[in-house]
This record gives sequence, structure tokens and C-alpha cells, in this order.
Amino acid sequence: MLNASHEGAAPPRSAARTAIPPLVVAAVVWLALMLAIALLADVLAPYDYAALDLHHRLSPPAGLGGTVLHPLGTDELGRDVLSRLIASIRMSLLIAFEATCLGAVLGIALGLLAAHFRRWAEQIVLAFVDFQASMPFLILALAVLAFFGNSLALFIALLGLHGWERYARITRVLAISAGAQGYAIAARQLGAEPWRLYIRHVLPNIASSLIVTLTLAFPEVILLECGLSFLGLGVQPPQTSLGNMVGYGRDYLTRAPWILIAPSLVIALSTMSVCLIGDCLRDRMDKALQ
Amino acid sequence: MLRFFAVRLLRALITIALVVTFAFIVLRVSGDPALEIMSVDAPPEAIAAFRKAWGLDAPLWIQYARYLLAILHGDLGQSMRDGREAVVVVAERIPATLELTVPALLFSLAVGIPAGVYAALQRNSRTDRAVMVAAIAGFTVPSFVFGLLLVLVFSIRLGWLPSGGIGGLGHCILPIVTLGVGGAAVLARFARGAMLEVLGQPYIRAGSARGLPWRRVIVSHALPNAAIPTLTIVGFMVGNLIAGAVLVENVFSWPGLGRLLVVSVVSRDLAVVQCILLLIAAVMIGANVTVDLLYGVLDPRIRTAPLCAGAGRC
Amino acid sequence: MTVPLLKAERLVRRYGVRHGFFGRKSTVHAVDDVSLTIRRGETLALVGESGCGKSTTGRLLIGLEPADAGAISFDGTVLPMPHEPGWRSSRARMQMVFQDPLAALDRHLTIREQIREPLDIHRFGSPSERAERVAALLSAVGLGTDHATRYPHELSGGQRQRAVLARALAPRPDLIVCDEPMSALDVSIQAQIINLLADLQAELGTAMLFISHDLRAVRQVSHRVAVMYLGRIVEEGPPDEVFGAPLHPYTQALVSAIPHPRRRRTERILLPGDPPNPMNRPKGCAFHPRCPIAGSACKLQLPALEPVKESRSVACHAVHGTTGGPAIRRLA
Repeated sequence: MLNASHEGAAPPRSAARTAIPPLVVAAVVWLALMLAIALLADVLAPYDYAALDLHHRLSPPAGLGGTVLHPLGTDELGRDVLSRLIASIRMSLLIAFEATCLGAVLGIALGLLAAHFRRWAEQIVLAFVDFQASMPFLILALAVLAFFGNSLALFIALLGLHGWERYARITRVLAISAGAQGYAIAARQLGAEPWRLYIRHVLPNIASSLIVTLTLAFPEVILLECGLSFLGLGVQPPQTSLGNMVGYGRDYLTRAPWILIAPSLVIALSTMSVCLIGDCLRDRMDKALQ
Repeated sequence: MLRFFAVRLLRALITIALVVTFAFIVLRVSGDPALEIMSVDAPPEAIAAFRKAWGLDAPLWIQYARYLLAILHGDLGQSMRDGREAVVVVAERIPATLELTVPALLFSLAVGIPAGVYAALQRNSRTDRAVMVAAIAGFTVPSFVFGLLLVLVFSIRLGWLPSGGIGGLGHCILPIVTLGVGGAAVLARFARGAMLEVLGQPYIRAGSARGLPWRRVIVSHALPNAAIPTLTIVGFMVGNLIAGAVLVENVFSWPGLGRLLVVSVVSRDLAVVQCILLLIAAVMIGANVTVDLLYGVLDPRIRTAPLCAGAGRC
Repeated sequence: MTVPLLKAERLVRRYGVRHGFFGRKSTVHAVDDVSLTIRRGETLALVGESGCGKSTTGRLLIGLEPADAGAISFDGTVLPMPHEPGWRSSRARMQMVFQDPLAALDRHLTIREQIREPLDIHRFGSPSERAERVAALLSAVGLGTDHATRYPHELSGGQRQRAVLARALAPRPDLIVCDEPMSALDVSIQAQIINLLADLQAELGTAMLFISHDLRAVRQVSHRVAVMYLGRIVEEGPPDEVFGAPLHPYTQALVSAIPHPRRRRTERILLPGDPPNPMNRPKGCAFHPRCPIAGSACKLQLPALEPVKESRSVACHAVHGTTGGPAIRRLA
């Protein structure tokens, strides 16, 4: 017992773990599937996501007493759950993608500003970083959203504010240390303007760390979008997103749980997949660093 | 060390000032609350009177100065919906939220830490993998999805527990579990990592090499050392707990701050939203400062580190 | 007499060093009262141990960092400092070749892009002229066109340094500062690079500040040499004279350390005491704790750099006969 548990606690680093775990493979496949669905939404969806089928209202999924016409069932207005799900996946991914890019551009720009000007510019950026980190973003977003209304563009812009502080913080630190590197010193002494120095030399050299941060922030933006849409403050009907569908399905929890289950599973599996892949990547990076 | 805390405190104050200003900007500049509350077709005199009564007719900077002054006096204005003091409206919701968040935090600790420690002791076993996959599921599945699935199973299918509202012990179980599960998952992952790190330390191996019973090595050497980093992460979980409470309270129609926030936001009840924002900011900043202090108290190395650096090389 | 290309007078560069979080601040005089001139087409070498301030001097002289005191004029006008208008455009006239060519090159850009970069920055000619210039530079430093499309990590150390040199020469600078350009290279490659530097310098007539601790390389490329010790110049003159008949005891020690086939090992002067620490600079002549001939004045008074004959100056009480201590042994 003693030996067994001790060895279990600190085994030698084995080479056996170099193979990709099956769960991670499954996660990659799932995400690829989601991406494909988002890209091919128009082709894949059997119906328009807003099309009504009043003959088949609250029809359960096929195999549970429903018709084959609506494999995942329909909602209270007879709208096809599968079609709505496909449209929702596209909407949620699109919003998350745009918001993540927006946040990254904003954060990187501010991080570079802080790194370039140092002193007061840096202090201002850091104060905003503190401010952003001081509040759960959901709550800030709630306050802003209800008061600025619900246009989709504004919603995306708001989600873009999520996570900017992380990019700003990382960019600042990396850019400051990159600025002391030989290639940056060399470029500066060549007479390079700041934009040339940062865009052409510093950014490509720090990009890999930023891309990792970006991938990890992506599921958080999806979750945020889902949460806000669930509360009725995000994507507004008739448009649909995953969180929006869950919020809507909640009212039919007793009579038509399938409306809620389908988007719930998609959200859960997608965020889990990103996390599994992220963990795997991090393990590998740690190992590469050792 | 003193300097470190002074800087930390100054930052906290600046952050509070920013939150206060943010609340003002967002809530005052974004729309005309008079039109929202009074409806568009109200007579113009009534709207003007409303504006005057709430001080909305003054220039913005005067509104801002008044606002700051009022906050310094602890006066956060009146709820526009029922005319009572916003502080009172908010305060009466605090117990309900605490009833939810405190047990949820305890649930996270009681489930997450043992699970993490156990997984670490059984590293790479089937149990370990199962715990870790469950943990990933636990903190990636959004709380509103998890809560609704629980309702579906335990309230609707099995009929064991009520699906919402406040009442007896039965009403608490689903919300608490929903809110606590994310934290439990984070703690389990963290506790496992901390434990594995400690188990890899030379003094643990030396302990077992000396012939101490393995159980004693774990209980008296490994656990206390793994506890330090694990406990401090609890402070960082406060933010998630608060954001989670907003969603969970809405899923279970729980009459706490989170419900109040959403309802007030929808009805544009400025004073109440401000009050909740400030309260949450204060709690969050307090939690962060506490974590810093806790680090110093729990880990003497961190307490002496700045002094050490101050003395030059050591 | 014509105006020298570069004239630096009484340069001082201090760094504030804080000892830890609460610690008191102290200042390190990295460069202390250094005056130099470089004429057009001339190569001045700066030699000394690492940490003696020769690299800092190099950066000060081409305006990469501001001096705390002193004046620098370049081609008759005041040299702009960083953050001053005109600084960036002045970069085209003075260039730097770095110690570690791999670090000085951006690993995400091809060699061609990097050599072309100064031409793009300073808008030299038309795009096609720039391409021609890059090709000419590549062949001038002995790189083939096939090297142009490669990335820094795909080249050898010598090839990288050639690329750095080509980049520095691209805007036709008047002055190049080479900061230990061979120290990161293999010994066999060092000779090639030295020859290349000497050839290019003779061909293009570019003035050069050559910073090195390799005295043989210095002797090969330089027209004049300045020896630095703890931030000050202690001896200056033509390399043959300075190395052939060193006056300052520190220079004597340096010269004796050059491996020499006909000299016995025992003749090498081993300096006693610790290597110099710029944080804790001795009073008087900074060299006195290690100097075999130091007298009482050396501990109290800083010797000035004064001419001993034409084109030759030295900062030593012993040489100027102001030691106030025991008689000169070695210099007789």
C-alpha cells in the first residue's frame, strides 16, 4: 500500500503520454464539427430558423414520439429545433469570434501604448486593467447593455471589451521585454518609426503567446454571450443564439425539455472541448519548457 | 512590506473611484431615465417635474459632483420604482444572496479539496482521470445550463425538489449545488496541482525514506503545505461566485441581489444598479486585498521577500 | 585642419542603481569624462576589459543613449539625442554592428528584408534601386543571392554577421560603431570578418569605432587606439606605438597578456587584486589598487589624460612624473 500510493503520487515522467489522449481527439473533432456547421449553416439547416410549422407545435424529437420531419423536435411556434440550433451555433460562434478579435486588437493596442510610452500612459492603462479585473465582467456588461439598448453591433462591441485587459497586460510585459531584445534595439537604431518597430518586429515575435491567450479567452466569450442572452439581455428574438435558445426553452422545461437540452449540450460540449485542448497544449508547452 | 500594502491600497482606492465614475457615466449618460420611467407619452410638464425632482435637469458635471458628495455621505439615492432608499432596497436582498453564496462556497471547499487531494494521491489512476474530467465539465458547463438540467432531472422528472423560489431547506439544495459546482471544480484542479507539487518536494520523499508512515507524511507534511496556495485561490473565486449568483438566482427565481440587479437593469432603476455595482466592487476589491494579506500571513517567505530584496542580495 | 567627423567632449554617463526594494540609490559612472575625436575615414579602436564602459561610450557617441554631461558634435553640428527631432533621420549617417548577430536580426524576416529595411526607413531611391542596392551589398559582404531569401537561423554565425554588416552599410553611413563584432563568432570566422571589415573600410572610407578586447584584431584594423579603464580613457595613440611601447601600467598588463610565440610566459604581468567594480570605484587613479608602481599621489589625485608627445597621450602620474612616491621601476 505504502509503496503503491507513493509511486502513484510521484511516478517517473513517462514517454507514454506523448500520444494524444482520445478525449482530446474527440474534443478536436467536436470543435471541427461546430466550425463546419457554422460555416455551412445555410446548406445544413433543413428549414429557415424562423419558419413556423403550426401543424407540429411542441413536437418531440424523432424517436421520442415526434416526426422525422423535425429530427430534434419543434418549439411552441412549430419552429424546427435543429434549424434553430444550427443558426444559433453560427450566431454564437460569429459573435464570439468578432468579439474576441475586437478585444484582442484593443488590448494589444493599449498594451503596446503602455509599453511604448511607459510612465503615465502605462499607469492609466494599468488603472483600467485593475478596474476591469475588479468586477465580474457579466455585471459590468449587464449594466451597460440595459442602458445602451440591444443592437447586435453594440452587443458584440461590449463583449469585445471582455478580456482586453488580459491581452493588454500580456502585450505590455512582452513588448517591454522584446524592446530590450537585440532585434528591437537594432531596428530602433536603424531609425525605425515606432509603428514599424511594433508592427513589423515586436508583434510577430510575441504573437505565439498572444494566440494562446486568444484561444483560451474564446470559450469565455461564448459563455458570456450565452449567459447574457439567457438573461434576455443579449441576442434578441427573432434572432437566435445558443444562450437565447436556452432562455427560451426554460419556459417550456416541463412540456418540451428538448428545446433546452439541445443547445445546452452544444454549449457544454464546446466549452469542454476547448478546455480539454487548452489543458493538453499547456501540458505539452510545460514539458517543452522543461 | 508596508510600502507594498500602501501601493496595493492606493490601487484599490483608484479602482473604487473608477467604478463609481463608471457607474455614473453608464447610468446617467446613456439614456434619459425620465422617459423610461414615465413612458413616452407622459405630459411634458410631468417629465420636467420628474427631472427636477431627481436633479436630472442640472449640467452633467454638477450631477457628478452631487453624486460624489452623496456617495461620500453614504446616500446612494432612492429607488425610482418604489421610492425607498436604494441602500435599503439592496440591503434587504443581501441575506438571501448570502444564504446562497456562503453555503455554495462551503460546498465548493467540502467537495473540491478532498476530490483534488484524493486525485493527486491516486495520480494517473482511473479515479484521478474521472475526477479531472468531471472537474473540467464542472467549470466549463455554464451554471444556468447546469441548473436547468438539475431542475429537469430532480424537479420535473423525479419530483424530489422544488424548481425555484425560496422556502425550506429543499429550496436551497439545487441553487447551492449549481452555484457551488463551478468552484468545486476549480478547487479540485487547483488542489490536485498543489498537492502534486508538494508531493514532488524533497522533504516529502525524505519523510517517507525515513520510514514515517505514508499516511502521516501526507497528513502532517503534505496537506498543510498544499493548503497555502489552495486557500488563497478562494479569494479569487469570489468574482466567479458573484457572477454565478446573478445567473443562478435568475434560474431559480431566488430573491437575492442577482435577481434585483437584473430586474433593476431592465427597469432602469439607476440608484439600485449603482448601489449594487458599488457593493460588488467593494466586495471584490476587499477579497483581493485579503488574498494579498493572507499570502503574507500564511507564507512567511512571501512576507519576507520584499524585505529580503531590500537588504540587497541574500 | 578639417573639422573631425565626430568630436566628443567630456562625456559622462551615470546609471542609478537601487539596492533592492527599499535600498539606497547609488550611482555608477559607466563613462566618466571621456573626450574623443574620430576623423573621416579613420578607424578608432576602444579597448579594455568588459565592464570598463567601452560599449556605453560607443552608444553615447552615436546618440543611442543620452549623455548626462558633455557634448558631441557630428560633422560640425550637435548630435540629436533620442526623442529629439532629427534623431531618427540622423540614424542613416551612423550605424551600429552588434556583438551577437543572431540577436540583432529579426528571426521572422528574411536576410533580404532586413538589409533592405534601413533603405525603406530612410526612403533611399525607388523600390528597384533599393533592390539593386541590396544585391550590391550582399556581394560586397560576400553573401550570395541564395542567402538573401533565408532566415537568420538558417545561416552560420559568420554569415549572420556579414548580413548585419550589410544592413549597417546600406544607408551609406559616415560612421559605423562595431561593438565586439567578433566575440560571438568562432575563431576561424573571426579572421574573415576582421579582414572583411578592414577591406570594406579601406574601400568605402567609412569612419569606424571598433570596440574590442582583442588587441590583435585592433592592431589590424585601427588607425588609432584608446584604452579604457573603469569609464576613463587611460591611454591613446597609434596602435603600433601603444602596443609596441605601452606607457600606462594597465596597457602594459593588457599587452603582456597577448600570446606571443617568442616570449616566455613569466614575462606576463599578472595584475593583483580584484577585477574592477564600477559600483565601487577607488579614489584617486582608479587603477591604483592593482598598479605595481602606484605612489601616494595615485591614491588621492585623479591623473588627467595629457599628451606625452604628438598623437600620444596617457593618464598616469608615473608617466608625467607626479607620483610623489617610489621611483618608476618599469618605465625606465
